[in-house]
Amino acid sequence: MKRRLFVLLVCIALVGSLFAQGTKETTATKAEGPLKISMFYSDNATLPFKSDWLTVKEAEKRSGVQVEWEIIPIADYQTKVSLALNTGTNAPDVILYQSITGENASLALNGAIVPISDYSQWTPNFNARVKEFGLEDTVAKLALSDGKRYNLPSLFDVPFYDGGIIIREDLLKKYGLQAPKTFDEFYNVLKVFKQNNPDSYPLTILAGPRVLYRFTMPSYGISLGKNSSSGSYVLSWDYGKKQYFAGAISDQYKQYITYFHKLYAEGLLDPEMADPIDGTKWSQKMATGKAMATWAYYDQIGGVTAASKIDGFKLQMYPSLAGPAGAHNQPKAKTGSGIIFPAQTAKRADFEQIVRAVDQMFYSEDSAKLWCLGVEGVTYTMENGKVKFVDAYANDPRGIYKALQQDFGCGSDVTQMVWVNKREMTKYDENYAAINAEVEAMGDVIQELPPRPKFNDINAETAASYQTPLADAWERWNDAFLTGAKSIDKDWDSYVAEMKKLGIEKMLDLYNKNL
Amino acid sequence: MRKSQQSGWKRYLARYWHLYAMMALPLAYFIIFKYLPMFGNVLAFRRYRPGMGPWGTEWVGTRYFQRFFQDPAFWSAFRNTLLLSLLNLVINFPIPVIFAILLNEVRNVRYKKVVQTVSYMPRFVSTVVVIAIISDLLSPSSGVLNHFLSSLSGKEPVYYMNDPRYFRRIYVLLDTWQYTGWTAIIYLAAITSIPQELYEAATIDGAGHWQQIWYVTIPSILPTIMIMLIMNVGRLLSLGFEKVLLMYTPANSGVSDILDTLVYRTGLANQNYSYATAIGLFTGVIGVILVASSNALSRRLTGDSIY
Amino acid sequence: MKTYKTPKTIAYYTCIDIVMFLVLLICLVPFLYIIAASLSSSEAIVNGEVFIIPRGVNLQAYRQIFSYPNFFRAYGNTIFYTVFGTLIALAMTILFAYPLSKSWLRGNKFVMKLVIFSMFFSGGMIPNYLLISNLHLANTRWAILIPFCINQFNLILLINFFKSIPQDIEEAAVIDGLNYGGILVRIVLPLSGAGIATIALYTAVFFWNDWFNSLIYLKSSQFPVMLFLRNIVNGTTMLGGDAGSAGGADKGALSLSIKSAVILVSTLPIIMIYPFVQRFFVKGVLVGSVKG
Repeated sequence: MKRRLFVLLVCIALVGSLFAQGTKETTATKAEGPLKISMFYSDNATLPFKSDWLTVKEAEKRSGVQVEWEIIPIADYQTKVSLALNTGTNAPDVILYQSITGENASLALNGAIVPISDYSQWTPNFNARVKEFGLEDTVAKLALSDGKRYNLPSLFDVPFYDGGIIIREDLLKKYGLQAPKTFDEFYNVLKVFKQNNPDSYPLTILAGPRVLYRFTMPSYGISLGKNSSSGSYVLSWDYGKKQYFAGAISDQYKQYITYFHKLYAEGLLDPEMADPIDGTKWSQKMATGKAMATWAYYDQIGGVTAASKIDGFKLQMYPSLAGPAGAHNQPKAKTGSGIIFPAQTAKRADFEQIVRAVDQMFYSEDSAKLWCLGVEGVTYTMENGKVKFVDAYANDPRGIYKALQQDFGCGSDVTQMVWVNKREMTKYDENYAAINAEVEAMGDVIQELPPRPKFNDINAETAASYQTPLADAWERWNDAFLTGAKSIDKDWDSYVAEMKKLGIEKMLDLYNKNL
Repeated sequence: MRKSQQSGWKRYLARYWHLYAMMALPLAYFIIFKYLPMFGNVLAFRRYRPGMGPWGTEWVGTRYFQRFFQDPAFWSAFRNTLLLSLLNLVINFPIPVIFAILLNEVRNVRYKKVVQTVSYMPRFVSTVVVIAIISDLLSPSSGVLNHFLSSLSGKEPVYYMNDPRYFRRIYVLLDTWQYTGWTAIIYLAAITSIPQELYEAATIDGAGHWQQIWYVTIPSILPTIMIMLIMNVGRLLSLGFEKVLLMYTPANSGVSDILDTLVYRTGLANQNYSYATAIGLFTGVIGVILVASSNALSRRLTGDSIY
Repeated sequence: MKTYKTPKTIAYYTCIDIVMFLVLLICLVPFLYIIAASLSSSEAIVNGEVFIIPRGVNLQAYRQIFSYPNFFRAYGNTIFYTVFGTLIALAMTILFAYPLSKSWLRGNKFVMKLVIFSMFFSGGMIPNYLLISNLHLANTRWAILIPFCINQFNLILLINFFKSIPQDIEEAAVIDGLNYGGILVRIVLPLSGAGIATIALYTAVFFWNDWFNSLIYLKSSQFPVMLFLRNIVNGTTMLGGDAGSAGGADKGALSLSIKSAVILVSTLPIIMIYPFVQRFFVKGVLVGSVKG
């Protein structure tokens, strides 16, 4: 009896194996019919990929391509890409949403990625867009130390102000305050908030301190931490002198941390933002009035407002505050993550076709409109040369931008490569456009990202070996200065000494020598 | 002389070949899937360059080993790992055993089954959510614990999750919550195998509840306990990476940086696989030493051992 | 068997019952919170109104999950890997554990050392990946079913369970002319219900929860539901570490309601297995087997 059970189990296992075959790789005999390309796509759970998205189907149809989409969760995307490129096995034809920094730079220099700049004759659409946006120089700077560019980046004609300081407009009115324009004015605003709400911590931050730093430090002339614009954690770019300096031990940083320590000490800054605060908690604090000001993103305002039960609750995003170095927000590049071709793709006989098809699919005038607005007649119509969205979407409670994203796949970071500011604005309310216009008028609020040094992978390893201990030390000291565990006056010198001992000046040298 | 040895072997095999046959397939599995990839560890002695093959490009000897031997951050992480693990062992090793024994004593069968099922549910709450919930509970502004304590003593709320003094305690207690029921299953299974007659004999001899537990239950499951102990000692240097990473803040980094998070930051985040591999080899060697010694000790003390 | 109740006995059992009740509470309450969150409206959660009782009850979260593309396919994948992975693992582990439980067998010690050594040294992600790739297992479902079929920890546990079976029974069977294969199937397995059930459970949970191996070895159409769970619950918690990060990661958080619903939907089935496994934890299987 037991033997029969055993045999039964084995049979089940064998039958199961029939289902385990999975889809056999169809060996393409000839490139008959549409061109077949496999692509990696980074899937964000807030806008899950749908293979029947209008944009996807249209794009495939118009370029005569059949794409085999590999949908990979965003949280693990880099792991999968890294594995495919490092081992050279099972890589797709095209990988979306990649920049050539860090490991990718080393991989590129060692031949794992196709130097697409060598094939620019096959990317006419991309070249046209670059020219249109006046980004020839910027794109040229993307070249690595061997002078070649390895990705087709996403392009922005004018970076937009999509995130910044957000304050309770209704409370400003209630307490008779003007919208602050400088950090000192902001301090006064916070103090009034606190006086009227002694149990609250007026300023809180989305996702933790690194978000605060990346938004506010540029006004002090520095950029440090996990989201530092240089990627180095402790070095900052001097926009005047056009070289790097040791931001972490600079006087500008001292000024910066003194200001925020003051906020912390006076109970104006939420002590819980010391470690990553999850989105729900942040929403809670804002919606219930426990916090009145924050740095976050414009399209989050709607969600918080909708959830709040406070009468007259209104959040408004304001232009960046001015600090000692002017009014600046997080620096943005006019190029972003883009498309790379793993080395094996170049070995395909139809490589030229692939490149042309990809170029057409993402960079042509037509495609740019498709990925941004959808299909004319279906999602929008042109009236008097202006874009008008169909009623169903113009009034969608999710907001036009989000609705188009979720239902059609428009405006996804992964697939939209061409971003025209004016076209983007049509998807937002007028308030947003007004704020953006105000920011643009201020001039140079959103600075360019600093140039990356052109390392080969040996230098890169050396730089990395300096970076980690310096980053750790900075995090510890920064937190101590912020909370007052260490005194900015008395302990500054020993801090600087420690950073120097860990090699911050050597790292600086390495960076500046390889620009 | 040789002939009798040969026929000795032949007879041995003839008698026990079934057993060897059973081992064949699994042994092949081990060699292919566990031992072949081990050659990859050679990367610890070679320089790895991304895109130029997984075996590295040149021999660099003990360069990476020297690097982490001289790195104070490494030793700090090493010490943190050891301390956290030992604390975890001391607290969370006995608890599932005690829990299993007590649970076994419950008389109402349905109640017992319910408690058993519920006790192992926490294992399935993913770490991210566990940390989110505990952060909420311990929050200085909105947390239940702080409210309760300050209404009792009127003290300032404590920011537990950020305070290095509480890090280890919180970590260990979270492990208790998540894994007690789960680990107890092994001991429950072992207790089930104890022949009833032993208890009957003890009762006849006049043993009370505690005595029965002490003289029957525990000795019967002692082999299981020792084996679990040996394996846990061997895994002293590998800790739950995700949980520590989520609990890490700059303020508690002095105690919360462990080997795995260090390797993640310096090795993997910087694509320095050689460095990560070197550290892996080092911890592997220590693990083997720990297992070998605890195994020998166990054999001497109780007669039970893994090998 | 005691048939009379002294106050001491009553106190003893009552104490234990109370302790167990506390355990019950501590383990259950967070789950109740999660269930409540999954049934509540986002507004109620954001306003901090939800604790154990859901507010603004709706099934919105569940509806949204079930409409995620490929959710059911992923679920099917998970069930497939769990069932067949466990079956194969059980077969292999039993086959290996039985001979290894005979510590007098020549070569036993050597093989045990081999097994234990392999617990501490693995090849690392890339060599393993290359091996699986070169064996042509990558991007097929076999990549999950075969490479993880023997877990050394479970193996050692099973060996221990087999060792606890009295030798006399087996020796009697040998004298009766049964070979070791027969002994394994007819005598040892029936007596090891609890041990095998434990290992089966541990293995099933391993396959059910696995996301990392599926991520790197499989195509996206073969992904299990745990990757879904991770993407939604973790989503971007551990990301946002890029320089000049564009914020897409930071604002991509989903509501607690959806996260909770996803947790429940992906873990409830495996939790529900346990009551069925409990059947094997039957006492007194060895009664009468030692005598004679």
